[in-house]
Amino acid sequence: MATLDLAELSVREANERLREYGAAGEDVEVVNPDARHHIGVGLVHPITVHIKGSAGYFCAGLTDGPRFEVDANVGWGLADNMLGGSVVVRGNASAIPGVAVRGAEVVVQGNIGSRAAQVMKEGTLCAGGNANFMAGYMMYGGRLIICGDSGEHLGQDMTGGTIYVGGRVQSLGTDAEPVDLPLEELDEVMSFLERYEVPFNGGTFTKVVNAGKHLRYPRLERRVRVVPFFVASEPTDYWNEKVQEDISVKAQIGRYRIRGYGAGRPLPHLSDVVFKRDLHTIPPDPEVVSKISLATELGGRFGAKPLDLSMPVMIAPMSFGALSKSTKIALAKASALSDIADGTGEGGLIPEVREAAKRIVVQCLGGRLGWNIHDMQRADGIEIYISQGAKPGLGGQLMAKKVTKEIATIRGIPAGIDLRSPSRHPDVLGADDLVIKVEEFREATGWRKPVSVKLGAGRVPDDIKIAYKDGFDYVCLDGVQGSTGAASSEVLEFVGIPTLSAIIEAIDALESIGAVCMPLVLMGGIKDGIDTAKAIALGAHGVALGTSAIIAGGCIACLQCHVGSCVVGIATQDPEHEKRYNIDVESWNIHRYLESVRWQLASIVHAHGYERVHELSRDDLVALTPEAAEITRLEYAPELRDERGQPLQLAAAS
Amino acid sequence: MSERNTPAFSEPPELDVYGRERVDPPPVPPEFAAEDDVNDQNYVPAPCQVACPIGTDAPSYIAYIWEGKIEEAFEAITATNPFSSVCGRVCDAPCEPACRRTESDGPIAIRNLKRFVMDRLGKDHRLPPVPVTKEQTVGIVGGGPAGLTAAQGLAEAGYAVDVYELTEMLGGYMTWGIPAFRCPPEIFKEDIDRMLARCPGITINLNTGLGRDITLEKLKERHDAVLLTIGAWWGKGLELANAGYDDRVIDGVTFLRHVNGGTRPELPQKVIVVGAGDVAMDACRVAKRLPGCEDVKVLYRRGPNEIPARRDELEGALEEGVELIYNVQPVAVVGTNGSNGSFALRCVTTELTKPGDDGRRWPASIAGSEHDYDCGMVILATGQRSECEELDSLGMLANDKVHTDWDSMRTTDPKVFSAGDAAFGPSTIVMAMQHGHRAAYYIKAFLEGVEGPLPYRVPFKTRRVPIADDPDWEIFPREHQDFRGLGEQPVEFPEIETTYDEDAARREAARCYRCDAETGAADYNVHTREDIFVMARTKPENATKQRAIFTKRLALRGDPFAEKPATLEDLVFLPANLSRLVIDPYRDACNVTTSLGSRLELGSPFMAAGFDSTPSEVREAVAHALRTQNLGYLGHRSIGDGVHWLQVIVPGEGEPSPDAAAVIATAPTGLERAHADQLLGLTARSDQLRERIPLALQAELDLMVLEGSSQVIDPWPELAGPPDLTVLRDAIALLRELNHEEDLQLVYFGGVRSGTDGAKLIGLGANTVVASMAIALAIGGTIENGGVRFYGNIEAAERDEAAELFLKALAYEASIMPRCTGKTDIHNIEPEDLRSITVATAEATGLPLAGARASR
Repeated sequence: MATLDLAELSVREANERLREYGAAGEDVEVVNPDARHHIGVGLVHPITVHIKGSAGYFCAGLTDGPRFEVDANVGWGLADNMLGGSVVVRGNASAIPGVAVRGAEVVVQGNIGSRAAQVMKEGTLCAGGNANFMAGYMMYGGRLIICGDSGEHLGQDMTGGTIYVGGRVQSLGTDAEPVDLPLEELDEVMSFLERYEVPFNGGTFTKVVNAGKHLRYPRLERRVRVVPFFVASEPTDYWNEKVQEDISVKAQIGRYRIRGYGAGRPLPHLSDVVFKRDLHTIPPDPEVVSKISLATELGGRFGAKPLDLSMPVMIAPMSFGALSKSTKIALAKASALSDIADGTGEGGLIPEVREAAKRIVVQCLGGRLGWNIHDMQRADGIEIYISQGAKPGLGGQLMAKKVTKEIATIRGIPAGIDLRSPSRHPDVLGADDLVIKVEEFREATGWRKPVSVKLGAGRVPDDIKIAYKDGFDYVCLDGVQGSTGAASSEVLEFVGIPTLSAIIEAIDALESIGAVCMPLVLMGGIKDGIDTAKAIALGAHGVALGTSAIIAGGCIACLQCHVGSCVVGIATQDPEHEKRYNIDVESWNIHRYLESVRWQLASIVHAHGYERVHELSRDDLVALTPEAAEITRLEYAPELRDERGQPLQLAAAS
Repeated sequence: MSERNTPAFSEPPELDVYGRERVDPPPVPPEFAAEDDVNDQNYVPAPCQVACPIGTDAPSYIAYIWEGKIEEAFEAITATNPFSSVCGRVCDAPCEPACRRTESDGPIAIRNLKRFVMDRLGKDHRLPPVPVTKEQTVGIVGGGPAGLTAAQGLAEAGYAVDVYELTEMLGGYMTWGIPAFRCPPEIFKEDIDRMLARCPGITINLNTGLGRDITLEKLKERHDAVLLTIGAWWGKGLELANAGYDDRVIDGVTFLRHVNGGTRPELPQKVIVVGAGDVAMDACRVAKRLPGCEDVKVLYRRGPNEIPARRDELEGALEEGVELIYNVQPVAVVGTNGSNGSFALRCVTTELTKPGDDGRRWPASIAGSEHDYDCGMVILATGQRSECEELDSLGMLANDKVHTDWDSMRTTDPKVFSAGDAAFGPSTIVMAMQHGHRAAYYIKAFLEGVEGPLPYRVPFKTRRVPIADDPDWEIFPREHQDFRGLGEQPVEFPEIETTYDEDAARREAARCYRCDAETGAADYNVHTREDIFVMARTKPENATKQRAIFTKRLALRGDPFAEKPATLEDLVFLPANLSRLVIDPYRDACNVTTSLGSRLELGSPFMAAGFDSTPSEVREAVAHALRTQNLGYLGHRSIGDGVHWLQVIVPGEGEPSPDAAAVIATAPTGLERAHADQLLGLTARSDQLRERIPLALQAELDLMVLEGSSQVIDPWPELAGPPDLTVLRDAIALLRELNHEEDLQLVYFGGVRSGTDGAKLIGLGANTVVASMAIALAIGGTIENGGVRFYGNIEAAERDEAAELFLKALAYEASIMPRCTGKTDIHNIEPEDLRSITVATAEATGLPLAGARASR
């Protein structure tokens, strides 16, 4: 048995040593833990770790296999996302013990704090004493045993799993109900208690499960092929066809409508700023790509191995779930062919994508769906999702048709539900928590991987300063033009600010605190190399392409992603539809699209006489509309519109 | 064959559906401007349309079929295609492989949908005749698809045209080459009759051969221009060493011509067809149907992946029992020992070489692989050529073709043009028609003395037909076309296929992606989507095309907000993220109950108005919904028991009712309550605020109804357009100025279309919002003649439910917005939670533009 003394070692050093002992199969005793955070985080070997005292936040978090014993109390987030192994705490646990546990056995002999077992998937969390409010909040699976009393809203919004309460249940919570407890099940509970020597003197247990009333939207939305939204912006036709269709559908379902893609109507955008230099007149140069340095590094601010991209472009994170596996693989392949990075989005990293992508950023969302330590360690970057441009303030929606058995299994949830992902992280209620969460991720990966944050653009100046102070390597900032596989159309259109506004506010905010060293990756309606160049000139370090990459791979922009019967096999989990998608063909299409983006970007840099892409600056741009001028404070030069030729003619209304 | 005087003429280019022209379309000649929409902001020609040599607006006719508008579909089909009925059956249909759905679950059956329309209207539908208006005339040699298409084009332009046809029937290779089981003779006649009825200026001269019955010199004398469309229906290609079996070796076109002439010769038992193009397919299938023939083999020197015939034809042949043998090359015809005159075709096995510079793989013979196939007849379908002694003697032929310049369609003789198979080698009917259109264009330019006319380009038109709104469009598989094969009496050549019935046609039409039509996303509109498709199909090293894409992408969009008034849709909410705690809008509650004047408790901040004069069924539905949702109604009269009634009174025209929860006066005179528990209010438009707000404060009124649309008591004032948002801004400013912001509750009426609109108005300072038009539309009202009409086609229960669900949706939607901003009560939305996205809306609401300095 080895000993680690936290009076002498930092947690970072101790965790590094723990991993070494783990690999060697040697048990460890941790002395003088002093309630420090992250003890044991990231350990994936089945050794015993005996903590001789109290531990702080995320004790035993992001682990798989070890046996932890804690002599005293623990802080919040005990055994966060623990996949296998066990934890026994002799004293009490703070809030959210057993958060997102997926397979481990977690025993607290004393009392447990609020929201225990939040978004738990599998395994057991057991309290010898009482549980505070909302134990079992949003549980997807697994077992929660409370020997004493439970606080209010037990089982609030649980969709799966089972809760056993030995004492009094203060209140059940939304969509939870008590059911009979079969004897053999009681026996299993009792034998678990016996195994972990948890005393129970109180007769029997109350069993609580999901009541099944909120798992699906009550009324199905009538499927219609989309009326182009932007007819709704015609000033002459306030009650146009699109408005009427919306009203008529809402009168059938009693709620907002759902669709895929992003904001449909025209918004102030990068299209409304333009390079001063007339790029029409630059001579074509077949060698332009080789003359310009587009190489871009992201994520080395804190010593992690940065993402070294061949150009300042990434594939935007999109989930396996929203997209078919074939589409995910094609995107990963294309990203490798173009030597950039791909992202997982919500819902986990599938092996095929890991294999196909040269660089992959795994994303952690509030539901921790598919999230696990192994993928973090396999990844090239880690991203905490706070929100996205398409639906900031809301979690993802995956309609039942897409929640297949395979998807449900990788995500650790029941199949066939209308999955509405939680809107916030169980363990991030504010900026302070987020600092500790970032540390946890860094500990879990030995500080080797960049940690970024994804933010839907809202209160950008405040949010971006917080992101900076929370110690992220970079920020992915997503404007309201960003797309999604399913969201309320009202939220898609009307929550969040345009991408153009977002980058300006973000750069100003970073400048105001002297923090321009933090790179921004801009996304939300970026369509080509020209948009990319403008984003970079305005201060972005790079961009991420989502929808446009999907279109390059065959999407026809019908906006019906949520339905699940995608005609080209992209936004579907139906094998009959997925087989329509040809991975080889589409990965090359996406790759060629990315190379065309590269060509455009290089041409613009070259035309300005620069050698490196990041030499582009806002001095190279002017604004074409009053909105863009006011947002960007660039020179307003509408006359350029006439000089550079008229836009395409708008045909007579059809 | 003469090779004299052959200037270097240009050749037809290869078509690439995602080629440079898709992002950089050449200008269309002015005369086609009305038929060309490539500069339309909301349209890009679909791949099927681009692949069609005559630019058929397939997406429109398909959509018309779904709509049941068959005449409109007919117009779209025939606009550029004089042989639409023929094409419905036997077009090579390059549109189908180009169809984007091909890669998913099979292309739209564009050809058979055309047949569906033509089978209904092709025979009898006539367009009005066009008179001859010009003095100049044109002589066209050859009555095939190229010649006749040009004839029609020239006749429609007013020229008299003489067509000189070698044989006794029009149609050229179409009628002489295509077997009747694929296209019955009456179908050719159908198209030709339609054309001649349309163009009385066309004179047909049958049995008139060039050089035999008339000379080119004579034609040039007689006409102002001559077009040669003499076809290429003489076989060529393989020369076989053969030991005196000339009579048993026949070329494919000759064979087909005999049969289409009406003969049904007895064939030997075993027939071999060499080649695998469309002629070979027709020849083998004809042989299979003729008496005596039992065994038909097709020999092809390449493999199945290289086969040039249309896939349908190949599959048809196989299904009819024709045997395909790949990778064999005939070398000689040899006699066999049999005494019945039988012989064999000696072949060698081939293998394909590695792809050459042109990407094609050539078949190379394998030494020592000679083997024989017994047969009684060999049909060589290995190539076609043009032949004309007269032209040869004039030095106008080169390489078996009339030497012709693609860029002008001119031959070496300045007055003589050429087109079709004769000019550019054997091709398809639809390509011949393109040549006809091109030739007509250049001949017209010549006749009109236009020097160096703009190069011809196929015009691409859209009829802007809405997308078929069938919910199962993603799921419907390709509709099967019934295949009958040989039929019971093969020798009679019964038709092999049928077309769809109406239901099948509609299902098939619904499958169309509508690659031409505008999308629902401004960012990924049809032009951007198609540009991305081109980017994805362009090699990185193709600098010219990359450059063309780049230039297209540089096109500036117009100012989307230049003429746009301030509207609610140009306000956005700022979501909670890091700086404000995110709540969970799917789970965390948000209060929407609303107190009006501290005495009236409403279920949500919405009320209704505008149903005073609507039919009683409509009023009952609205009343039902308001009752169940515990909401109020603004109107002259009560809408029903159990609904909070805010009685609107035009002073002097009514008395406060004791039943009303509130009395709202439309003018500031005689403000009085029927009893002390009643709320009292006043309406105000923007221009009335300065007068009425102080007065309302002085009279201690409870509320003020702000009329963004005026007036709340008129029928459907919201139809006038976007509501006035300044009234809310100014009312708040005035109240603030008077230091009475909390002393008068504001009810806003005007243009509320959704719960989101309501939430925004509450954020701007309203306490309650009134919906009217939106509720009318929700329960089935239709906008007609500046008003709203209700029809009796909806059951009362259905209407009740719709009204109730819509009011629920308003409240629910409205509650999502505060939740997204991190708030749990709708009345906590502040102006600070909102931003404008246009200058006009910022001005009208006082809310800063998102991203501008003032917003921070």
